[in-house]
Amino acid sequence: MSELEATMHPGHSGVMEESPYGIPSGKLAMWCFVLSDAVTFSAILFAYGYLRIGSSDWTRPFLFMPSILNGLVMTFVLLTSGLTMLAAVEAAKAGRTAAGARWLWATCALGALFAALHLLEWRRMFEEGWRLFQNPTGGSVEFGAAFFSVTGLHLLHVIGGVCALAIIAFGFHRGKYNRIDVEVVGIYWHFVDLVWMFVFPLIYLMNAK
Amino acid sequence: MTTAESSHIPGMKFFVAVWIGLMCIVGIEVIITYQRPSARDLLVFLLVLAFLEAAVAVWYFMHLKFERAALVWTMLPVLAFVIFMMDQIWPDAFRLASMRLLSR
Repeated sequence: MSELEATMHPGHSGVMEESPYGIPSGKLAMWCFVLSDAVTFSAILFAYGYLRIGSSDWTRPFLFMPSILNGLVMTFVLLTSGLTMLAAVEAAKAGRTAAGARWLWATCALGALFAALHLLEWRRMFEEGWRLFQNPTGGSVEFGAAFFSVTGLHLLHVIGGVCALAIIAFGFHRGKYNRIDVEVVGIYWHFVDLVWMFVFPLIYLMNAK
Repeated sequence: MTTAESSHIPGMKFFVAVWIGLMCIVGIEVIITYQRPSARDLLVFLLVLAFLEAAVAVWYFMHLKFERAALVWTMLPVLAFVIFMMDQIWPDAFRLASMRLLSR
């Protein structure tokens, strides 16, 4: 019995029909979660667009230094973490457990760095007087609501992903989790990466001064 | 490799090339932003590039290209339909903007 068959139909691989999608149920569940989460992020980005169009005094506060540059560094870090995640999946598929765990920890570290850079950006904005419903420039207060909601939801996903990666890395190294688990957490991590590809241009670049 | 995935998933060299391509798209986004086009043109440029990046990420990084077509045809039309339905809010957003102009 192959590892996949064992994961899909434990103990029944000979009698149960194959999954129509040809993937383990855990992986299918993650794809369904990604689909529903994509709708959640779409809704919050649409809400941002709605507020922006409906507001007569929208603020564009981001200077190249430090905000856009910081956003670029964050993008570089997150995209690079996608690459290390791919290396982890490839190592896990090849049966190189130690290398797979190392790449998972590298992804975890890059995710933590992204979160730290994001929190530093938030702290700088708080020091300037930005709040959820407060605009220090005197423009629309809805900017703060939109910015902190969208980036906060994404940051929450990053922090959740870092925790999941740490759990899988630890368990994979000890043999508790298999390569399918690494693939599943990989799909989630690439999705977090994908969402940032919309957040950075729409929230940062569209509001560059 | 799962049963549905083909045996010819490219190696890391290919994925590094994709990563470089994605970074180039981000660079193009920043360059276009500082060419100072109108907000409407900038939105169109950025959305096109963001969807291109997302497509590459889903197709290659998330390995959707290497899964069965049934998975693709289950996921993408549903997402496209929901996003299309959300598009119904824009006339109301423009109505709000117009209302503010009229009230002055």
